[in-house]
Amino acid sequence: MSNSFGIKNIVQFILFVALQILLLDNLVLFGTGFCFIYVAFLLFLPLGINRVWLLVLGFATGFTVDMFYDTVGIHAAASVLLAFLRPHVLNLLTPRDGYDSSDSVNIHVMGWRWFLVYSFSLIVFHHAAVFFLETINFQTALYTLGKILFSTFFTGILIVILQLLFFSPKRARIDYR
Amino acid sequence: MRNLFAFIYRFRAFLVFVLLEVLCVYLIVRYNTYQGAAFFNSANKYVGQVLEYQSSVSDYFRLSSINNSLARENAALRKELMQYRDLEVSDSTAVLDTTFYAATDSSHAAPYVLHASRVINNSVRRMNNYLTLDVGTADGVKPGMGVIAASGVVGRIKTVSRGYATVTSVLHSQMLVSAKIKKDNTFGTVKWTGGDYRTAMLDYIPLHVNPAAGDTIVTSGFNTVYPEGIMVGTISAVEKEQDKSFYTIKVKLAVDFAQLSYVYVVENTTMYEREDLEQQAGILTDEQ
Repeated sequence: MSNSFGIKNIVQFILFVALQILLLDNLVLFGTGFCFIYVAFLLFLPLGINRVWLLVLGFATGFTVDMFYDTVGIHAAASVLLAFLRPHVLNLLTPRDGYDSSDSVNIHVMGWRWFLVYSFSLIVFHHAAVFFLETINFQTALYTLGKILFSTFFTGILIVILQLLFFSPKRARIDYR
Repeated sequence: MRNLFAFIYRFRAFLVFVLLEVLCVYLIVRYNTYQGAAFFNSANKYVGQVLEYQSSVSDYFRLSSINNSLARENAALRKELMQYRDLEVSDSTAVLDTTFYAATDSSHAAPYVLHASRVINNSVRRMNNYLTLDVGTADGVKPGMGVIAASGVVGRIKTVSRGYATVTSVLHSQMLVSAKIKKDNTFGTVKWTGGDYRTAMLDYIPLHVNPAAGDTIVTSGFNTVYPEGIMVGTISAVEKEQDKSFYTIKVKLAVDFAQLSYVYVVENTTMYEREDLEQQAGILTDEQ
């Protein structure tokens, strides 16, 4: 199992955060559909990654995005929440005979159902945290809920597209030496 | 003691989670306040450089519209200048005997200095929108100064670094602009409530005045941020609701925030003197 945090993950971090602040910052559908693609970096991390390390990575990612969005703390808080919930969601979704050592977050390896439940449930929590921390009050709760739902679909669909385009259907090769 | 360490080790993930969330909430409360100073924002040197690079690329796609708006502004300024020239030619006070005529004090006539600046980061669709400008302390920009565009009020400087500044846009849930209806000088407060970035609300207009759709809203000049008479917008809808002592007025903002490219930072040279005086007198000026 590729449990270590490798060059691949660092490249993904830079790619997704750059994509977020350079391109998707300007892309909002109908004033309600926001896309926070940088969560893909946290979602695609190795399955067995250390929990504390994952939390620290979540904080660092959210904080980087916050600096560019002028929203100190909001994305960081939401990303830490996502990082905390990720191992629990993974536990809930454990296949019948546990995770294989060659398993990774890959739509071809884990199957559509597993991937959709995994990504959408975590994205909902993340987006809910972002939008409620942004408004603080609950007067516009209905509008905020609409934003959460619409944005979750937007981000989720983009992540699925990323998976289909860039992740190979082959399982990670295990070295038996 | 060993048990304690064992306990902490066992729940380390949860404890780190709680710790980080507390840190985040502290940051939110500490830095997202309306006028709080902050280091971790887009006025930061490195963040500013990335944003400047981004806007230097994306500005190419808008060059013609930027040029058009600058040319239009030039034309308006030339027209105004010509009017002053005409006035000066027909005005004879300058040649009057000084015993009858006291020359006006020039420091009172123009207490405002404008710093031109480019917008390198902008947002219009969040609840709290900010802009980033490519001017900073090196250009004489300080927190609290007003920001205007050719077409009207834009916002107020929040934080400044050496080369960059962040601006709290009028499209911010806690931004209030002291404004008045131009035709009868009734003053109220313009506030953006989220949603459409072209529409804001004008509050505190009492029921005895008669605002109508199409009326012009300008800044009141009652605070030190903006000069008097800067365009804010025009009234698009007036509603008289029962059991409310003020009108509900919708204002179409004059500035198209999605199209901003060049703005002016307004430096009021008498700002500190006036604020000092008002504070000494115990008049707490509310945030406007």
